[in-house]
Amino acid sequence: MAKYTILCALLLTVFVAPAFGFDEMSPPTGRACSECHGLDVGETTLTVQSVRPRQGPHGGYTSGTQKCQTCHTIHNAPLGSIMLLPAPSIRDTCVTCHDGTGGKGVYGTLAARGVEATSGHRIEWTNLVPGGGSTGGAQAKTFLGMGGLLTCSDCHSPHGVDTVQPFTGDRIRVSAPQAFPTTAPEAVVKTDRLLKRRPTTATRSVDVYGSDWCAACHQGRLLASHPATNHPITSNPTNTAGVRYDWIRRVSAANTASTEWGTLGASNRGFVMPTQTVPPRQAPICQQCHEDPRSVGNDPARPQRISTLAGFNEEFRITAADGAVATDNPRFQMFPHESAVPRLLVEDFDSLCLNCHNP
Amino acid sequence: MTETTEVPAPRQIFSTLALVLAIIFAGLMAYIVFAMGNEPEELVPEIKAGIRARLVIGGPGTGERPDFSRPLGAAIDDQGRIYVADTGNDRVCVFDPEGNFLFEFGGRGIAKPAPGIMATWEPGLMNSPAGIDVDENGDIYVADFRNDQIQVFDSEGKFLRRFPDPLEKVGRGASGYGGTGIAVTGIEVTDGHVYATDSYQVVVFTTNGEFVRQFGRPGTAATEMDRPNGLAVADDGTIYLADSNNNRVTALASDGTPRWVLGAPVFDLVEQVDNEFGLPRDTAISADNTILVIDAFRFEIVELDRSGKVLNRFGERGAEPGGFNFPNAIDVSDELVLVTDKGNNRVQLVELVGR
Ligand code: HEC
Ligand code: HEC
Ligand code: HEC
Ligand code: HEC
Ligand code: HEC
Ligand code: HEC
Ligand code: HEC
Repeated sequence: MAKYTILCALLLTVFVAPAFGFDEMSPPTGRACSECHGLDVGETTLTVQSVRPRQGPHGGYTSGTQKCQTCHTIHNAPLGSIMLLPAPSIRDTCVTCHDGTGGKGVYGTLAARGVEATSGHRIEWTNLVPGGGSTGGAQAKTFLGMGGLLTCSDCHSPHGVDTVQPFTGDRIRVSAPQAFPTTAPEAVVKTDRLLKRRPTTATRSVDVYGSDWCAACHQGRLLASHPATNHPITSNPTNTAGVRYDWIRRVSAANTASTEWGTLGASNRGFVMPTQTVPPRQAPICQQCHEDPRSVGNDPARPQRISTLAGFNEEFRITAADGAVATDNPRFQMFPHESAVPRLLVEDFDSLCLNCHNP
Repeated sequence: MTETTEVPAPRQIFSTLALVLAIIFAGLMAYIVFAMGNEPEELVPEIKAGIRARLVIGGPGTGERPDFSRPLGAAIDDQGRIYVADTGNDRVCVFDPEGNFLFEFGGRGIAKPAPGIMATWEPGLMNSPAGIDVDENGDIYVADFRNDQIQVFDSEGKFLRRFPDPLEKVGRGASGYGGTGIAVTGIEVTDGHVYATDSYQVVVFTTNGEFVRQFGRPGTAATEMDRPNGLAVADDGTIYLADSNNNRVTALASDGTPRWVLGAPVFDLVEQVDNEFGLPRDTAISADNTILVIDAFRFEIVELDRSGKVLNRFGERGAEPGGFNFPNAIDVSDELVLVTDKGNNRVQLVELVGR
């Protein structure tokens, strides 16, 4: 019976909590949000970043901007809303557009192309972080979704504030709308993907997306915290010289599947490639093993699937709602949301290890 | 039990409490099940924020998938028959004017799979149908969003044709996957023509599928669009477009020349003002010749006159009949207004009665 008591109490709390959490607050009309919320960048204050070219409702705010109201209902925040957002959950607000009808499709995009998602960061589903404990085990944490579950804004700043820099060799995404043949090309905007420098539960802020960003939640997967159970990993605390990703196995020429060792292109065609295993060698970062599925290296059993239509120095662009030009490899930029490969791995089976280890 | 005692122990008090909680919870669940049930409800015509719900439909109520899943589109014909694009279930469901389920068609089929995956599309199968409309012959037009095409069915749900070819470029280009086809969100069939919205433009076809014209490009100027999601075409040919991410409704002549714009595109304004719309996603023309706009983030129907002046606002957020949760599409038949109530997984047929 005790079990049921708890269950009922929990369920009731879940239903009732939003009602208590809701606090109707109507700022005076006719005043810019920025008068009180500021436009300067600051980690802990309620601030939004000043002028920044960006598509969509995120950031690019100026004083007097009206974008805030796209997501926040100011006067009659509906019953059950949190933070003056119209949805009972942050996810519902985001996916109203990010189901593909109002922004890039994220969750569900794999399924829409006939690919089954077998791993991912499920939204408003769990608060248990695998590898979240400092000794490597799973740990429950409190996230921003209702009931403390992981949600979009745990990783993303919807306001585009305090965001990370890409790492050298990171795939560069371009968030400009598709240019039609008859129109001038749109300005190319390189993005930070709105990734927070301090994802929820992070104990410190990271400037660069990479191992340390993932380890904000998965701290048990870092070498420094638990050498016995992990593959060696490069992270900033253990590599003060900074991380180098510019010596890679890459496509040797356009329209071929063969590879060679060489330096990184401008975007590495969107990929993090294997590091060299001869001195001066360097342990990989999380994103070298965990990212969108692809086939790298020359393992004949799992041949190269890299698109070979253009040179590798090209800037990586996403031009359609779900990332769709022939030069996109992989076609679906769904990491870390969903993946067809277990554990969000780049490749499954030994093929992954064989990219870097030649027995 | 190995041990008996006459005095109620704290544990028993807790059990009682638990029982009470359980009863409350069961009641709540029963209420929810009732409120969101599949049977078309006999509604006490209560008025909620100017809306009287006449029918609430949560799905066919039978078969393998009795419930809707995030329905984005709906249409009602002159006889009052109701057509629902049940997006999450990749199908269309048809109901009689009383809300009784008639039949469904569709099922998932992928026309443009990822490399290395087999295409599974066959005529009639769909992939996230987003919009739907019916012409005067009763033919049903479905915006097959993820397959970048429009499919046409007869009034019994038999496949007739599809256009454009999702693997061919449309006109001077549209926002389909891989640059071909058209990622249709909203659709309106009128006078032998099909008007479709994609990410940044309106594309017009004949009902037979011949490409007629296209207009719009990304941006915030009056001739530009940002993820329009729905439109309505008046008898005089004026197009009323829900230019969703620009937070506005634009009236366009049939060649795309703007007549008026209501609502501010999302860029700098000198002063914070009350915006007209939160996220307008679709429009319809009422029996009184006014324009009805459905706003997903404000949970309301905004009524405009033909010159773009706000006349009324109806509706508020809620899960009970008459309440909305991320409503997405709107259509009209006489005095009745059909709304897809996506966040509540249902459609509602309502009357606008004024506050
Ligand atoms: C007069 C000053 C003022 C103006 C103008 C103002 N705010 Fe605020 N806002 C506040 C204060 C103070 C708080 C903190 C309230 C609290 O902590 O309880 C706040 C809190 C918030 C919150 C968080 C609410 C929550 O539940 O945590 C949001 C979201 C918000 N404001 C959005 C806006 C938007 C959008 C605008 C412009 C339309 C705006 N505000 C204009 C003073 C203002
Ligand atoms: C894309 C949707 C979106 C837009 C546009 C947006 N917000 Fe938010 N806002 C959110 C979400 C989601 C949260 C809650 C999650 C979080 O704290 O990051 C939030 C939280 C807030 C908070 C509370 C933050 C805190 O840490 O407690 C404030 C204040 C706020 N927003 C103000 C603004 C202002 C001012 C603008 C316009 C300059 C704006 N927002 C535009 C989605 C948005
Ligand atoms: C009104 C529609 C809308 C809503 C609501 C919305 N977005 Fe967006 N978002 C966009 C558009 C448009 C873009 C521009 C790129 C694109 O086409 O997706 C974008 C871009 C992004 C990007 C990529 C940014 C970059 O620089 O590459 C992220 C991340 C993102 N949104 C997250 C969120 C999250 C998290 C939420 C919920 C708090 C949210 N969005 C809500 C429309 C929306
Ligand atoms: C805000 C916290 C947070 C951040 C940041 C984060 N994760 Fe996670 N991660 C989680 C949670 C919570 C889960 C469990 C998700 C689930 O069960 O759906 C998870 C699950 C995973 C899994 C297992 C997925 C599966 O389906 O088996 C992998 C692998 C993973 N994360 C890798 C990463 C990598 C790599 C990064 C950096 C790019 C990262 N995570 C960043 C919280 C986080
Ligand atoms: C565990 C952290 C995490 C969560 C949770 C998460 N994202 Fe992301 N998201 C990322 C990262 C990391 C990237 C950038 C990946 C890259 O570029 O390699 C990203 C990229 C994006 C992009 C840009 C995609 C593109 O093609 O440019 C959008 C849009 C987005 N996320 C939206 C969302 C929405 C909406 C949600 C919730 C429904 C969400 N994200 C939840 C970590 C997360
Ligand atoms: C050398 C390749 C490699 C690197 C680098 C790597 N991982 Fe993994 N990771 C794997 C493999 C392989 C698995 C699957 C193991 C299994 O399923 O037993 C995995 C599993 C996981 C899981 C889910 C299983 C669990 O119990 O934790 C998480 C979370 C994860 N990794 C996070 C990370 C993070 C965070 C980083 C960077 C700090 C990282 N990984 C770096 C190869 C790698
Ligand atoms: C992205 C390239 C890369 C991939 C993929 C990779 N490794 Fe490694 N691995 C390295 C490098 C580089 C080192 C050497 C690190 C050093 O010398 O500090 C290493 C070291 C090791 C070691 C020695 C650890 C130690 O403490 O000395 C083992 C064991 C190992 N890897 C196993 C694996 C397995 C198993 C996989 C597949 C799951 C794998 N590696 C995938 C790059 C990789």
